[in-house]
Amino acid sequence: MNANSDIAIVVKHLTASYGERQILQDVSFEVRRGEVFVIIGGSGSGKSTLLKHMIGLFAPLQGEVWIEGENIVAAQGDARMRLLRRFGVVYQSGALFGSMTVEENVRLQLEEFTDLPDVAKEYIALAKLKVVGLAEAAHRMPSELSGGMQKRAAIARALALDPLILFLDEPSAGLDPVTSAGLDALIKELSHYFGITFVIVTHELQSIYAIADRVIMLDAETRSVIAEGSPADLRDHTTNDSVRRFFKREAAPGQTIDAR
Amino acid sequence: MRTADDRKSATEAELLVGQDGLVTVNLRGLLDTHTMGALWRALEEQLRPLIVTSLDVEASQLNFRGSGGLALIRYLKAGGFTPGAKVTVSGLNEELDQILRMVAAEDFESYRAQKRRPLSMAEEVGVSVRSLLRDLREQVAFLGRMSAELAAAIVHPGRLRWREVKRVCIAAGANALPIVSLLSFLVGLIIAFEGARPLAQFGAQIFIADMVGFGAVRELGPMMTAIMLAGRSGASFAAEIGTMKVNEELAALTTMGLDPLRFLAVQRVAAGILLTPMLTVYTMFTGVLGGSLVMMSLGFSWPVIYNEMAARVHLHDIGIGLGKSVVFGAIFSAVGCLRGFQTKEGPIAVGVSATRAVVTSIFLIILADTVFAGVGFILH
Repeated sequence: MNANSDIAIVVKHLTASYGERQILQDVSFEVRRGEVFVIIGGSGSGKSTLLKHMIGLFAPLQGEVWIEGENIVAAQGDARMRLLRRFGVVYQSGALFGSMTVEENVRLQLEEFTDLPDVAKEYIALAKLKVVGLAEAAHRMPSELSGGMQKRAAIARALALDPLILFLDEPSAGLDPVTSAGLDALIKELSHYFGITFVIVTHELQSIYAIADRVIMLDAETRSVIAEGSPADLRDHTTNDSVRRFFKREAAPGQTIDAR
Repeated sequence: MRTADDRKSATEAELLVGQDGLVTVNLRGLLDTHTMGALWRALEEQLRPLIVTSLDVEASQLNFRGSGGLALIRYLKAGGFTPGAKVTVSGLNEELDQILRMVAAEDFESYRAQKRRPLSMAEEVGVSVRSLLRDLREQVAFLGRMSAELAAAIVHPGRLRWREVKRVCIAAGANALPIVSLLSFLVGLIIAFEGARPLAQFGAQIFIADMVGFGAVRELGPMMTAIMLAGRSGASFAAEIGTMKVNEELAALTTMGLDPLRFLAVQRVAAGILLTPMLTVYTMFTGVLGGSLVMMSLGFSWPVIYNEMAARVHLHDIGIGLGKSVVFGAIFSAVGCLRGFQTKEGPIAVGVSATRAVVTSIFLIILADTVFAGVGFILH
């Protein structure tokens, strides 16, 4: 695969399971460079599982995940470490290291993987924190930040080594609508200014309309991709009941007391 | 800014030194977080010795990957290498220029100013004393509430959740049996071995029986058991309750109208008070067994050892040992629960609580034992 093509990530025939329980069955799709790509689906449809396979946290039963021209499933040793440094991940809880200040969190990878002088690391850390609007909170501990600030700090940390791709797991989970909208705006800005490719797992409808260039929807029953396209496409032109219910926020049959 | 360019071009700086302190720096090549370190040091080395009044930075031949490389441009612009010089940067495209202007020199100043200064010695002492006093007050308050709840549990035993008491007894007591008995057996062996040689010089090896018997029943049995339980079960009480606090389970109990102290701590302390004497009986026995085995290997027969021990170790010694173990059991379980309730926010909090539980328990157990020894000596 050509590393300089317009494709940032290719997922090929991915099959994944937790023990006996199969979660994903033959999932394939591509993520284009520079786009905001959103993975949606109901609870238990395997969105987070898919994300964890894409970032190499879990090994799939079958299939491949190519990131920037390298197969993360097969990559070992140094090649794998190099590949891991080319993308950033923002976890649902933020996963900031509680024993370090926000700035130390952001500087961690710079300290470990670069030979920069201290003042350069400070300059970079400040720039990242400034971009996410947290320059004032640089020397605070993560436990002193609100949920939204923690997510922003986690984004700043993920940006430390200038990744080409950012993966975000449920960025708006637990945030109020205003904070959530602020985070969406930040994602759009990062995508615009820095050309970063985003892969985002979410089920926040408003967020999907605000940020997504392209969406795929996973389904718990078929354990695979049931729809792919722009949010407007999926909302207006779908023939699939699950997709229609998702975008219209309708309860599934049997989920309400009336239906029973 | 599309910067995903993997070209490996050498990153370098060319310095043109003109008259009257005019210097031009031509930057070339790929600039990112990995190539920047060497370039940074090279520029520092070349620019620092010069007297520069005006610095032109020409960046049009730079190839950025990500925005990390802009840190160098910002530092040059802020006069980091050339204090006092007028600096101009040219050749950046519009997007990069926009990103460059996101962070100004003043931002960096306020960022540095915010850094927390370390506390002075006097402040450190003040903070420590205050937290010590606060902790003492909490311990006394907890002791009071716990005593009241335990008294209530004795008056109305039906209010205690006995299933929970049983579960804790099994987890903290029965499951600790192998390690506690093995350790006391080994300590019995050690005491007998250590005593054997000096006593042999006086032909008094028979007194190993007194030593082991007295030691195991009055001191080692209760104390060893309590310290083992403090490390094993006290820490786990603190971690369990601490995790519940972090997960807001304690808050849930409170809002459901259930007092966390009555719901969680009383059963654990009751279990601690019940299981410690039981385990202590066992450790008394295995300690004596360890010492006796050594004596038998030295040629003493079992009836001789038994008679010697029976002549020295009386029933009231066993009573004192068991009485102590009740107090020790109350200490480690109550301290474990208290430290759990005191757990603060954040991921390291639970670990801190578990550590504090063990340290405080062991300290209080030994302190209590000292009081017992002192009072026993005076009363005798």
